[in-house]
Amino acid sequence: MKRITLLFSIFFILLSCKKETHHLSKITSKTIAIDSTLVSNNQITKTIAPYKKKMVTKINTVLSYSPKSITRTDGELESSLGNLLGDLSFKRVQPIFYKKTGKNIHFALFNYGGIRASISKGNVSNKNAFNLMPFENNYVVVELSGEKMIMLIDYLIKSNKAHPLSKQFRLLITKNGYTLSINNKPFDSKKSYFVLTTNYLQAGGDNMYFFKNPIKLYSINYKMRHAIIDEFKSTDTLKSNLDGRFKRN
Amino acid sequence: MNRRTFIQQTTAAVSLTTIGGLSLPSFGTKKQKHITILHTNDTHSHVEPFEASHYKHANKGGVARRATLIESIRNENPNTLLLDAGDIFQGTPYFNYFGGELEFKLMSMLNYDLATIGNHDFDNAIDGFYKQLPHAKFNFVSANYDFKNTVLDSHVKPYQIFIKDGIKIGVFGLGIELTGLVSPKMYKETVYLDPSEMAQDMSRILKDEQQCDLVICLSHLGYYYQKNPTKISDLNLAKKTKNIDLIIGGHTHTFLPKPTIVKNSMHENMLVNQVGAYGINLGRIDFYFDSNNNKTSQGKTILV
Repeated sequence: MKRITLLFSIFFILLSCKKETHHLSKITSKTIAIDSTLVSNNQITKTIAPYKKKMVTKINTVLSYSPKSITRTDGELESSLGNLLGDLSFKRVQPIFYKKTGKNIHFALFNYGGIRASISKGNVSNKNAFNLMPFENNYVVVELSGEKMIMLIDYLIKSNKAHPLSKQFRLLITKNGYTLSINNKPFDSKKSYFVLTTNYLQAGGDNMYFFKNPIKLYSINYKMRHAIIDEFKSTDTLKSNLDGRFKRN
Repeated sequence: MNRRTFIQQTTAAVSLTTIGGLSLPSFGTKKQKHITILHTNDTHSHVEPFEASHYKHANKGGVARRATLIESIRNENPNTLLLDAGDIFQGTPYFNYFGGELEFKLMSMLNYDLATIGNHDFDNAIDGFYKQLPHAKFNFVSANYDFKNTVLDSHVKPYQIFIKDGIKIGVFGLGIELTGLVSPKMYKETVYLDPSEMAQDMSRILKDEQQCDLVICLSHLGYYYQKNPTKISDLNLAKKTKNIDLIIGGHTHTFLPKPTIVKNSMHENMLVNQVGAYGINLGRIDFYFDSNNNKTSQGKTILV
């Protein structure tokens, strides 16, 4: 039955195009993998070479120094690298946000999966920033209701991961629940909070759905990678420690 | 629709159309013409192959290797078009440091014939894209971005027509909605027009007015959105339009092992393809035309 319809429609098209002298009779396809079985074209390699040289020089430019390795796996519910990212983001964006809105950010939250590399002991270069943050994520600030904040807290407790947080946020999981202070004040579910995150997470990335449809969304035209580079440039020696901002009793 | 189910259904359609085509007799004197369409999408500044240590694409990709492959295919069939479905920019420091200059230079050396614009091509704002245009020896098409009040005015046409071995090929471009995806500071006064409406317009112009033998849509709309199935996508566009033979897609980085056969609004079979991202694959679709004047009914064999 379907075949008849198909033939009929082809017949119909042919009748309707009187001028057509070329008839499409066959289509074939092939998806070809580009891999090491193909020889590189010399001209292309030669064209890339000077750009590569400049790029490698720039990317290996030393910006800072780390006296120890900073990783995302050195704690249970927090990490030295997560703390570094949370704190540097807060530090860099808060003045921009304040200037824009006259308001203050309460804390920053990103995702554990978004940390794509560690910082090894030694010199820290642009390459570290690109490896840490290969994505073009921009900062956003969301104003969250108390209700959404409770969803955020539940998410953190359930996911049981060292998601990067800034130091203003201190969450302690207790036997009967949790205690949370933000900026040294107990969490108040009747209040709304300004949370710094990325456009990726705000859109529901990594199931952080509590960031969706906030009371208000503020776009910050500043890429996370740029903030990391700016922080490296302005810091002679990187310091980051575990301070118990998120822990289990 | 679940993609796996969809691919299975597609496989069924392959055998069906094959039988339909082969079961028909051919009439008249035949001279077969052969057009090869090569395509990439979302190459994202991946100039060099992935490093051997890469967790997913180790040793894959690389423009210098792509060049060798394309050259050999062009030698085999000079009637070849090389197309890109957008997001040429952003993804490696080559973009961050040189703003896309190298990407356009290399694509020109590979003799790209045409490309459309992806959302990341606005990453250095519309002015950043404009600034690199002198390095591109190929054109960009977009039928649903109205650039009238921007620096790109008159630099981007809705479609382009190529004639290869007497076969007339019309290619038009479609871009994704920029609101929410790209900051307005980046795309400025670019006006987004409805892709379905523009596609209908384009296919009418290219098929009916220009009498093209082949109509191709270069799309950066995305293959299909499972979580938002009514959102305009290549699959949805394919179903509600007619006279488009092939949609070459991008944006969703969808790797299709082979093109998807879709029934258009006239219940005719057409193809939607997308080859992942980062230049790790090259899509190739070959169209064979029988040249004759006998108005007899013939089948179209799709062997994908």
